[in-house]
Amino acid sequence: MQKIKILINGEWKSGWARPGQTLLDFLRKELFHTEVKRGCERGDCGACTVIMNDTAVDSCLILALQANGATITTARGLGTPDNMHPLQKAFAEKGAIQCGFCTPGMILAAQALLNRNQNPSREEIKRGLSGNLCRCTGYEQIIDAVESASQQLSGV
Amino acid sequence: MHQHYYKDPNMKISRHLFPESITEAIDLLRKGKGKACLIAGGTDFSVEIREGSNDFEILIDTAKIPRLREIELRDNEFFLGSGVTMARVEENEAIQRGAGVLSQACGWVGGPQIRARATLGGNIVSAQPAADAALALFALDARLTIIGPEGKKTIQIEDAYRGVGESAINSRKEIITSIRFRKHTEDEASAFFRLMKRKALTLPMLNCAVVVRKIGMKFDRVAIALGPVAPIPLRMKRAEESLNGKPITRDLIIEAAQISSEDASPRDSVFRGSGSYRKAMTRVIVTDAIKAALSQLNVEID
Repeated sequence: MQKIKILINGEWKSGWARPGQTLLDFLRKELFHTEVKRGCERGDCGACTVIMNDTAVDSCLILALQANGATITTARGLGTPDNMHPLQKAFAEKGAIQCGFCTPGMILAAQALLNRNQNPSREEIKRGLSGNLCRCTGYEQIIDAVESASQQLSGV
Repeated sequence: MHQHYYKDPNMKISRHLFPESITEAIDLLRKGKGKACLIAGGTDFSVEIREGSNDFEILIDTAKIPRLREIELRDNEFFLGSGVTMARVEENEAIQRGAGVLSQACGWVGGPQIRARATLGGNIVSAQPAADAALALFALDARLTIIGPEGKKTIQIEDAYRGVGESAINSRKEIITSIRFRKHTEDEASAFFRLMKRKALTLPMLNCAVVVRKIGMKFDRVAIALGPVAPIPLRMKRAEESLNGKPITRDLIIEAAQISSEDASPRDSVFRGSGSYRKAMTRVIVTDAIKAALSQLNVEID
């Protein structure tokens, strides 16, 4: 076991990681960040997406020790129920959520996209979210939500 | 209770080390005596480790070796560190212009999250016949510099492959340091085509990387790499020879595509489609890729 430190949602947290343990497993079991969802665990679904050092990554495909010292944002770091992030608000307003399991990953992938590209086209949004699966909504509402949030965030 | 969700993590990995130089990495591999293995982006290995199917115990991570992340263009030749990610190749403007086939190929690997981590070196040593980036490197006649206990050597990318998932590069002993290939000339262009069930996050049913160089209205040098139609990515040598030195015509391209289809031996696959379908589609994908490369040289074939 090795002690590692992560700057998660603006706060340094440390915990014991086992060599070979995935970042997903470490975040959920060691740091209790259960908003990071465990989906396929093989990089096919994107439910476990977090933003690591400004880039969206699948936390199931990263080993915890590889994230030592990294800056990580999870859905909990974006907003609170009383003070929702524009993306979270747009997802609620546009009906981009049904069961909600893909939502944390979907919103973080969208946030990583908007960090690089403030006004993405619908095609660019689709490509930015192409690593995330949703089995409920059919994607259209999700794309609408990201489009609406991007307009709001960039003041268009 | 809840064993499926809360099973213990893999206990087989005893250590995960982060050398800061290539020399140190080679040394750690040597000390590992076959039980230590290199890991780069980890997009394949983390799944293998979680499932417990790994047969190595010590991970030698390349993340802290800066030299492996460099992208350089010297004397019209690209030098890419083996730790360069798919996302960086995809977004690099010099590579987009000077070896477009590789940027395009890297843009098809996985989804954005995977491209942010997966590396060129990993794409090569995993030795999959359908690996998009590796296929483009075949068409670019890439050469690999490898450092191991016996020193440094440079090999052609073809020589890095032994079979499906079987690399000639031993990641428990040696490391690919750089991948080099020539930048396109003024009369050279390239294209990458992929046949697949969805537009993202899916394995290719067929993929094709083409580099075309012309002199006037003749083909000068054509490279066609095709996957997965054999145990390793395959250069369609007979089809290439049928074009080299010949005038650029529609009929000749169709003939080369036909030869490619004859030389391809795709298997029946639940994931990728039937062998006969993919063999037939080889004609289409090769034709389209050659036409797309020519189109960038302002030669339009209808």
